[in-house]
Amino acid sequence: MSTELSRLLNALGLIAIGAILTMAFIDQVWFGELPCPLCILQRAGLIAAGCGIALNIVFGPKPSHYGVAIIGAIASAAISMRQILQHIVPGTGFYGPPVWGLHLYTWAFLFAVAIVLGCGLMLLGDRQFSQVQPISGRLKGLPFIALLLFLVLTLANVFSTLALCGTGLCPDEPVDYELFELND
Amino acid sequence: MMSLPFVLFACAIGAAWMRQRGVSLGFWLVGLVTMLILFRVHVSEVLSIQL
Repeated sequence: MSTELSRLLNALGLIAIGAILTMAFIDQVWFGELPCPLCILQRAGLIAAGCGIALNIVFGPKPSHYGVAIIGAIASAAISMRQILQHIVPGTGFYGPPVWGLHLYTWAFLFAVAIVLGCGLMLLGDRQFSQVQPISGRLKGLPFIALLLFLVLTLANVFSTLALCGTGLCPDEPVDYELFELND
Repeated sequence: MMSLPFVLFACAIGAAWMRQRGVSLGFWLVGLVTMLILFRVHVSEVLSIQL
């Protein structure tokens, strides 16, 4: 696998993470499903994983960047698993309505596993690491769009979380945006 | 406080964009640790998964 192909696949991976974060936002804003604290941390975990992929796009593929992505994905998976276990016993309830048969925290776990799997597969391509990759000038094309989308979504999460939880910790089951409540 | 990991990850992405790899990795690491601390704070109760 050439460095350029690797960079393109990483850009597609980052766009996939961006798509997941966008869907979470649609669920929050359009359908009014406010995220719980663990749901917010799962988003943060996916962004942590995306940081490794972003490093691959900017600096070229390196095993350490895939390591960053894998660690972030495992952190996200651990948080999702905690929430799955919290509701796994019948009668212990659930958080939010299911989407295509699974709750969002279950989807988050599957996405995190997919990221780990994807990084594992990408690490099999040794040739991407053997080519000396000079840091070229400005990013352009798909890698640029992927990185910009990822940065915008991360910043959107900063403001969304600030609006939802204020400057403290989030309530376990948020019913409204705390920042807007303060202004009422 | 809950937005802190996102702020740190945004800084990591920004630093990567500015070609500061070490700074980016530093922000990422601090963001990850912050995220895990917040996770620990939010899951204080013991899991009840006895069948």
